[in-house]
Amino acid sequence: MSQTIAEKILAAKSGESRVSPGQIVDAYPDLVMSHTATWRSVSVMKKIGARKLYDPKRLAIVLDHISPAKTEKYAADQQTSRNFAREYGIERFYDVDAGIAHLVLMEHGHVKPGDLIVGTDSHCTIYGALGALGSGIGYTEVASVWVTGKLWMKVPTTIKLTLNGRFAAGVSAKDLMLHLIGTLGADGCGYKSVEFYGSALPQMSISERMTMANLAMEMGSKCVFIPPDEKTREWLLPRLKDSSTYEPVYADKDALYERSLDIDLAALTPMVACPHQVENTKPVTEVLGTRIDQAFLGSCANGKYEDLVIAARILKGQKIDPRVRLIVTPGSKQIMLEAMRTGILATLMESGALVTNPGCGACAGDGGMLADGEVSLSTANRNFVGRMGSNKSSIYLSSPATLAASALKGVIADPREFY
Amino acid sequence: MNMVEKILARKSGQQSVAPGDVVVTDIDLMVMHDLSANFVMKVFNNEMENASIADPSKLVFAFDHNFAPATREAAEALAAVRRFAAKHKVQHLFDGGCGSIHHCIMEAGLVAPGMIVIGCDSHTPIYGALGAFATGVGNNSMAALGFAHSKGWFKVPETIKIHFHGTPMQAVGARDVSQYLVGHLGEDGAIYQALEYAGPYIQSLDVNDRSLFPLQAIDVGGKCGFVNPDEKTIRYARELLGDGPAAARLEFFQNDADVRYAQVIDIDVSKIEPQVACPPTVGNVKPIDAAVGTPIDVAEAGGSTGGRLSDIRTLARCFANRKVHPGVRLQVVPASRGIYLAALREGLFETLHVAGANIFPPSAGSNQAFNMGALAEDEVMISTQARNFPGRNGHPKARHFLASALTVAASALTGKIADPRTLEVQ
Repeated sequence: MSQTIAEKILAAKSGESRVSPGQIVDAYPDLVMSHTATWRSVSVMKKIGARKLYDPKRLAIVLDHISPAKTEKYAADQQTSRNFAREYGIERFYDVDAGIAHLVLMEHGHVKPGDLIVGTDSHCTIYGALGALGSGIGYTEVASVWVTGKLWMKVPTTIKLTLNGRFAAGVSAKDLMLHLIGTLGADGCGYKSVEFYGSALPQMSISERMTMANLAMEMGSKCVFIPPDEKTREWLLPRLKDSSTYEPVYADKDALYERSLDIDLAALTPMVACPHQVENTKPVTEVLGTRIDQAFLGSCANGKYEDLVIAARILKGQKIDPRVRLIVTPGSKQIMLEAMRTGILATLMESGALVTNPGCGACAGDGGMLADGEVSLSTANRNFVGRMGSNKSSIYLSSPATLAASALKGVIADPREFY
Repeated sequence: MNMVEKILARKSGQQSVAPGDVVVTDIDLMVMHDLSANFVMKVFNNEMENASIADPSKLVFAFDHNFAPATREAAEALAAVRRFAAKHKVQHLFDGGCGSIHHCIMEAGLVAPGMIVIGCDSHTPIYGALGAFATGVGNNSMAALGFAHSKGWFKVPETIKIHFHGTPMQAVGARDVSQYLVGHLGEDGAIYQALEYAGPYIQSLDVNDRSLFPLQAIDVGGKCGFVNPDEKTIRYARELLGDGPAAARLEFFQNDADVRYAQVIDIDVSKIEPQVACPPTVGNVKPIDAAVGTPIDVAEAGGSTGGRLSDIRTLARCFANRKVHPGVRLQVVPASRGIYLAALREGLFETLHVAGANIFPPSAGSNQAFNMGALAEDEVMISTQARNFPGRNGHPKARHFLASALTVAASALTGKIADPRTLEVQ
């Protein structure tokens, strides 16, 4: 009794009956994700002389960050990853056309409630949108988990965030998260598990939950949970190979939380993160009129179908400001297909956007690089110096609605006037 | 006089010109992609102090190689061209996502028959299919004569007539025939000569397919290529130009009845098999048999020679209810924004996407591997692109074969270079 979700999952995966915060466990992850960095883990494995994987079925590889190769070095690295997948019979291998690892794995039913998932990406916290414990680790650790099947982890303490009320028009999950990151700080949840509750949750879509669990990383969270509900079940069951494996894990009623916080969604306004820290957040009204050269709609935070729809609604029938380059990168192959079928892609193209192939895209500098002095607005989750090119460029982060409104105006704009 | 001679005479203010004459002409349009715009701009800035651009409305910059820059250096280069364009009031700047330079420019209605078009891209002769005199020039010529004076000097070329007749066999298209011609003439087969493409076969083609011939004029060393304008050209041009900026300048120059040729070459297209340009050069053209069975890693329909709507339609027909071979990455790169939207609306992208293809923004695609198209050492690509030189697509030992969209599709289906005649198309 009195266990949080993280405690329950870590106990189950390390064969303990119960664990307490601070305790160190040897946990056996259900899934080890590696993306474009896979070749690095492959070379670590070679270096330590390991030949055998603990369980090839637990590996998932998605080539997403550089898709496709721009240099022969990238091409060779991707070939290393492909050959590794072939040699070891990795069934969950997704090549450069698939999209962003996190979205691809969730769409394909490789993530389910109660799973422990680690991977070579800090935004693995996103798996908490479906009630799984996701956490980022380094590529050396990934090689070690490949070989031994296990990883030592410290059981985190847990923070409880309760969301009530409803978003005003033009305000969304991204604004909530930027508000939280700004309020709590980049280390506000350092090595802590975050559990979301409240009367607002049942109305929030899986897409919004993904944005929340993804961005929660930017306040230092070790992992994030949105407890599974009817929406989770509906979204996930058709995607799972075996629906009997759908077994949500919930916290005990008397679980112990380090801290609890209540947030009224109705009080939130559109937010932006200003250069060069995600925690440097301000209400959009404080930066209205800021010149932008580029607007990037994409990433695991906001490159999902719903995000494209939000932007397309604002852009429909209008042309973006000629001073702005709007780059749209659908988060995955499935998302791009849906956007093709519903006309969303055509609407975006007609507005003047450049629609790329699915993947991480400009978020991590794969295309859409910025020159000295250029400014980009982006729906991604990071705005650090030089992340999208020149060290003398700047990145602002916002919701898809703020991004679309700003692309039309050529400067950072308030999306609420479009609602 | 023939079409080229008439245009050169008119634009140099003379009654008539003959091969070997050197003429100084007005230039109607100067086209540059992102790479050459940057080079020409540097020449203009660094070597021509106090010069100004004679007529900025004649300049066109189209960013097609770096459609979304993959490096900081590329971003700086594009930013510099944008600043240059703003400073000199160059209005025709098409940014990333506009498509492949020549398709973007034609779609924008900037080229009219009868014009002289120069470009720093060697495939600039493409506009000869529209009845223009179009040729590639170096960066220095562009800056010093083009930018500063809207002028160019040319030696009037001799003309070779290629007379195509016969009906092509099934699965052989204009790309096969144009590639065959490159192999047949050789890479130095028409140095500084104009190539006139004529005969019943050329007449039977639409302007889109005809454009593949002058596009490849440079691959035999030609100065330019053209098709004597006919009803199809006139209809195409009027449709393209609409009420656009070039419509007022529409003027058709046609061959006189008694034109003379340096050489007339007769080609029976019914004998031409599907063709493939094998590594390491575009002139290494062979019947498809020479390459059949070569395993491939990447297949691409894209570039000025293969991202046309007709190419994408061909691909979609081949992939209806079929899947790309699991060992192959199929890349589809529309050659313009209009083609992208048309393919999207026709449902072609949906068919191809479901089949496993990856759809890219309108651009030059893998050409020179700026945003895409780099290969590892032992990888092989087959594409509709125009160039396959070693190192142009990643590792110098990687191999790149050039073929028609149909051959690319057949190969992407089987995982190996395949003869399109073996393909059943729905």
